[in-house]
Amino acid sequence: MKDSANYKDYALLSYHHIPGVHNLEIFERAGGYETMKACFDKDPEAIKEEVKQSGLRGRGGAGFSTGVKWGFFTKDRSAIKYLLCNADESEPGTFKDRYLVEKNPHILIEGMIISAWALGTQKGYIYIRGEFYHQAMILEKAIKEAYANGYLGKNILGKGFDFDLYVHRGAGAYICGEETGMISSLEGKKGQPKLKPPFPAIKGYRGLPTMVNNVESLAAIPWIMKFGANAYKQWGTEKSPGTKLFSISGDVNKPGVIEVPLSTTLKEIIEVHCGGVRNGNKLKAVIPGGSSAPIFNAEDSLIVKMDYEDVAAKGSMLGSGAIIVLDETRNMGEVLKWTLEFYHHESCGQCTPCREGTGWMEKILKRKEIGVAKKSDIELLDKTAASMRGQTICALADAAAMPTQGMIKVFRNELEQYVTTVAKK
Amino acid sequence: MSKLEKIEFTAENLARYKEYLTRYDDIESALLPTLHLAQEQFGWLPDHIVKYLAELMGIPEIHIKEVISFYDMLYDTPVGRNIVHVCTNITCSMFGGREIYQGLLKHYETDFLTPTRDGRISIQKMECLGACEIAPCMRLNNDFLGNVDLQTAIHKIDELP
Repeated sequence: MKDSANYKDYALLSYHHIPGVHNLEIFERAGGYETMKACFDKDPEAIKEEVKQSGLRGRGGAGFSTGVKWGFFTKDRSAIKYLLCNADESEPGTFKDRYLVEKNPHILIEGMIISAWALGTQKGYIYIRGEFYHQAMILEKAIKEAYANGYLGKNILGKGFDFDLYVHRGAGAYICGEETGMISSLEGKKGQPKLKPPFPAIKGYRGLPTMVNNVESLAAIPWIMKFGANAYKQWGTEKSPGTKLFSISGDVNKPGVIEVPLSTTLKEIIEVHCGGVRNGNKLKAVIPGGSSAPIFNAEDSLIVKMDYEDVAAKGSMLGSGAIIVLDETRNMGEVLKWTLEFYHHESCGQCTPCREGTGWMEKILKRKEIGVAKKSDIELLDKTAASMRGQTICALADAAAMPTQGMIKVFRNELEQYVTTVAKK
Repeated sequence: MSKLEKIEFTAENLARYKEYLTRYDDIESALLPTLHLAQEQFGWLPDHIVKYLAELMGIPEIHIKEVISFYDMLYDTPVGRNIVHVCTNITCSMFGGREIYQGLLKHYETDFLTPTRDGRISIQKMECLGACEIAPCMRLNNDFLGNVDLQTAIHKIDELP
């Protein structure tokens, strides 16, 4: 794997430069699991409060406050409840969680043990996408080490607290990254999302309270508990504090994962961290937050700051922090076609607007292939996308509609030209 | 496989299955890991394997079939000994992932997931594999392969058993 991370001493990748840090012994020598030990002397409610104060926002894509989400969880410590780590990482363009856990599985495990103590969960699962087989094995091995050291299992470190942790492999379905879809999948069903409310924190896995957090959110917990909420807030903005992992791919010289403070400009990420646009080409557009995020033209790309608010103010979303850079040689019609094929393939099929809508959108854009495309198809595509939004159980329909409408807004002329140009054979 | 042949987990896999059961608070939750395990042993998941698992786990056959059909990595049709995943999502397509996929189908004279005549490989077009920094990327069984072109891909696939 190409290794292009920056090794600045931030929070999440601060151990990444240490060779062999996936071994517990080396992780501990570098200070790992110290915070976990200290946390067992803290009141669980105080940990929850610290996380809330840190302003940490869910790193899977939604950006909802982790501390507030934790606040919805029952405080009844004897009630059966679960901690579920979302390592399904399937949003196109995203590969940060893979990068984080394959080198440093213990930072996640430490984060999960602290979170389990704070939340009072007795069992935890790391739901990792099926394609990440070796990463699942790395996690399994790390979990075994943690058991051997008495950090997992019964009566952890003699504190009278039990927490079991297991890896659960998915089997190839984007929708299992949606928290209720993930719960269905864990229950041994098709990974179809469930209607919210009730939210998983109230009624989740097996109908019991379940806290679902992203890998990156849970892995940030040890740092926050070690240095405190105020230290975490030294980075980013008031509403988007802390650091974030970004997965950058596409037309840059150095694609890879970086950790930077939220609100770092996209210009800096591309030009400084990723060595600029490849071949010295001109930047055309950037998808800032995974394929579900509406695209930015070059102008917006060069002024946007990568925090939840600024990206939203410019009409897109920070999402999972998956940045796909497109240079002047790229055809937006093709990019939209690939995107629409993806959502059509991944729709779970239970809601009509999504099941049919994603298929219609793909068909409309592909009319050129059978020679029946019209310029007005782009308008039809826009209307179809608009009619899908907010009509379904989960956000997949919106996730398909948003980038479609975003693409039409920014590149309408190019798309109209695309559909009316006969494909060269 | 002849119908007379006994269909069941090997002793080692049965032990693994029983260990899976200890991880969950109900038997249904162990279905996905059990299906992975069965596929590892049997290659794919035909009706008689589903029947065996249904009896073993006390889960209706139809439910198991429904689950198998939902996930891209569980196969209810015969597949080759080696599975080749080719990513055709945005970043990989930008760097020729689709041409590699089409090129492989042509080279091995096969179609989506159809095993080659020697039963050695099945080629599957996949959505984002989560390794966009090495686009175009593929998976050969459980190993990622990145920054490939068609010739390298063929070369690597030819090395598979």
